[in-house]
Amino acid sequence: MDQRLFINLSPGNTYLDRLTGKTKVRLFFAFVVLLIATWDMRIILPTLLVTLAGLYSLKAKLKSVRIIAVVVVLSNLLNLFLIWVIDPDYGASVCGGSTLLFQITPHYIITGQTMWYFLVRFCKLMATFFAAMTFIQCVTPSELAAGLYAMKVPYKVCMIVSIAFRYIPDILRDFTNIKISMQARGMELDAKRTGLWQRLKQNVMILVPLVVTSFDRVGNIANAMDLRGFGKNKTRTYYAEHEDGRGDGQMKFFYLALYLFIAVVIVLRIVKPGEFLVWYPF
Amino acid sequence: MKKPVIEFKDFSFRYKSQNEFTLHDINLTIYSGEKVLILGPSGSGKSTLGNCVNGLIPFSYDGEIKGSCKVSGIEVREANIFTISNHVGTVLQDSDAQFVGLSVGEDIAFSLENDAVPRPEMLEKVDAAAKIVDMDGFLEAIPYSLSGGQKQKVSLAGIMHNKDVETLLFDEPLAALDPAMGMSAIDLIDQIHKNHEKTILIIEHRLEDVLYRHVDRVILVNEGRILLDLTPDALLRSDTLRQNGIREPLYLSALKNAGVHFDEDEHLDSLEELDFAKYRDAVTAAFQNSALSAPKPKGEKIIEVSHVSYRYGKERLALDDVSFEICRGEKISVIGKNGAGKSTAAKLICGIIRPQEGTVRLNGQDYTALSIREIGRMVGYVMQNPNQMLVKDMIRDEVSLALTLNDFEPSAIEERCEKVLRMCGLYSMRNWPVGVLSYGQKKRVTIASILVLQPDVIILDEPTAGQDYRRYTEIMQFIDTLNREYNITIVFITHDMHLAIEYTDRSIVFADGRCIADDAVFRVLSNEDVISRANLKQTSLVTLAERCGIDPEHYIHYFIDCERGK
Repeated sequence: MDQRLFINLSPGNTYLDRLTGKTKVRLFFAFVVLLIATWDMRIILPTLLVTLAGLYSLKAKLKSVRIIAVVVVLSNLLNLFLIWVIDPDYGASVCGGSTLLFQITPHYIITGQTMWYFLVRFCKLMATFFAAMTFIQCVTPSELAAGLYAMKVPYKVCMIVSIAFRYIPDILRDFTNIKISMQARGMELDAKRTGLWQRLKQNVMILVPLVVTSFDRVGNIANAMDLRGFGKNKTRTYYAEHEDGRGDGQMKFFYLALYLFIAVVIVLRIVKPGEFLVWYPF
Repeated sequence: MKKPVIEFKDFSFRYKSQNEFTLHDINLTIYSGEKVLILGPSGSGKSTLGNCVNGLIPFSYDGEIKGSCKVSGIEVREANIFTISNHVGTVLQDSDAQFVGLSVGEDIAFSLENDAVPRPEMLEKVDAAAKIVDMDGFLEAIPYSLSGGQKQKVSLAGIMHNKDVETLLFDEPLAALDPAMGMSAIDLIDQIHKNHEKTILIIEHRLEDVLYRHVDRVILVNEGRILLDLTPDALLRSDTLRQNGIREPLYLSALKNAGVHFDEDEHLDSLEELDFAKYRDAVTAAFQNSALSAPKPKGEKIIEVSHVSYRYGKERLALDDVSFEICRGEKISVIGKNGAGKSTAAKLICGIIRPQEGTVRLNGQDYTALSIREIGRMVGYVMQNPNQMLVKDMIRDEVSLALTLNDFEPSAIEERCEKVLRMCGLYSMRNWPVGVLSYGQKKRVTIASILVLQPDVIILDEPTAGQDYRRYTEIMQFIDTLNREYNITIVFITHDMHLAIEYTDRSIVFADGRCIADDAVFRVLSNEDVISRANLKQTSLVTLAERCGIDPEHYIHYFIDCERGK
């Protein structure tokens, strides 16, 4: 049954899928840091294109992304609109200057700088979104754990990540079952017939047995892990972390260059701070 | 000279949270290469004994230890769990919770990962271990697609790659398996015992199922003490089983019913080795002297399912042209392996899923227009795990909840609630907190909380899962009383064949989404084709009947009559 959300459990066959967890995590990390560090469209636009290409290369699984993409785009547009409502001349403070393009009322103006800022902001968020989606779609939870471990995260923390993914579907199934049995006993969860507050209260009631049964399970899981030597050594190896392939070599080159580039961008920002946050070309 | 692997000397154990000792004065030696069954009812201390062997005591469960327990020469209280798990491999009861990996290969590799074994070596070992349990074609399978039996095999593979492990400990290996899977699990354990020179400890209360393959020794545990330590044959001769909450093998009950006396030189633990020529006359005579019971007259139809098909998403049909009826006052077992459609059928009746083709009628009325809540007042559903149903602190609140949710008048709530509490023997406990109840009592509370709506039918999902014979009997007799005295229609979803034989009149059997049999229990359980398609197991009664030249169907019918007559 389809209770796995869009978590990817078995690795696929595309170029990105075949990379090791270590490479995937490092690449993703590089993109996220880069996108946080810069407001320069000359960097953001190519990044957007690269992440979009990455997502597109996994095309078999695009369907599940589409709905989320629509939600993200809409909420971003709303966000930009609200910024404009509060301060129509926001661009002046981040790009410097205000070139009037259009005037609705004396207060509600549209300036070139604000629009540019909005465009940059939108591209930046979309690039982050595409990078995240590409990552989620091509990494399995075990590879994620292995990748984090390779980045010196303690393996007990990595285990929490993969164990969580392992048992989320089970807990969701329990939740559904409990909910159904409560409905049969007369709990009305239909939005049309009960108020929000009542429904909220009833959902909390469902959580009681869910928590009790989950605690039982946690005890069993912990025993099973202890019995198989979890926590015995300081180091650990990963079954899911296969040997480096050709792609890993190429990507290593790529992300090392990317880290170097990020370092340059950050150093430049510190050494030669520009007047304004966003680079404005016009 | 045999080498001792496990040695208990004057050993006692008390959990930190408890005042009483759980184990008292245990003296037990198990030798290398032995295959031992640790038998006992729930709460007898047999699992605690197992936890002392695998090191969970005192590592995970703190407490007071007296005396000594040595495993492979290591004193348990001084060692840590990792040292011990190098010598003892454990397969736990909950096959789902112990599957921590996200694929078969990963789960088998878990202890190798923790040992930081380099990956190339790990792959080799995983492959070899997967071959032993015949799971080598499934290395990339994800846990959600596996059956309980397969998950258990994977857990076994996960300890088999460690050559230092001398002892394999199985904690209730049959608890979560259907009869056919249970049989192959016992077979697999036997093969491993023979081919890999391991010492095997099986903790179980299903005696007949474990004795399906040879066992060297049985240790009977109850109330924290070792009562008996003898061969299976000697155990079956002694009359201690029933009083210790253990079910006797069916064929023995049948032979004893027929008044057979056993000679000294016979092996009672193996049906194959018994010489039936000696008993044939006694068995046949007893059988012929009794008239078979006539079928009960049927009440009016409550549920009519006709030609229903259903599929989840784009998967294969979960229900494929299924039709059956349920009449008032019946006791029905719905049988089938996991994924065969029996849970889907239950969901269908409760209105949680609706037919994509065909119709369902409740009390003669098509239920399409009714909501789950309205159907819930005609059909009550009791979940397998009572902890998943209990939401209130107090028994009375739990029982009256359904009435409150259905907007009953306070006076009506009071009246119905009292009646149900009395019916279920919970009236004196009505103000107790739910938390202090035993499993069986919780089960009662959940049944009461459904009965309070006065449904026409109650559906019970695996009501006795994980329960020993005594608690099983307690729960089932209670349900039987509800049927007998209040004419409540009962549907059991189960793969427990004993339950079907002892407490139901009719069985509906599912396989691959189809209803493959719908008939009297004795007829279904003597039909070989149905048995193999539904992952059931032939009862020893069939073998016994065939050896004595009696028609198995009639013999099972006769046996059921005898058991119920008692």
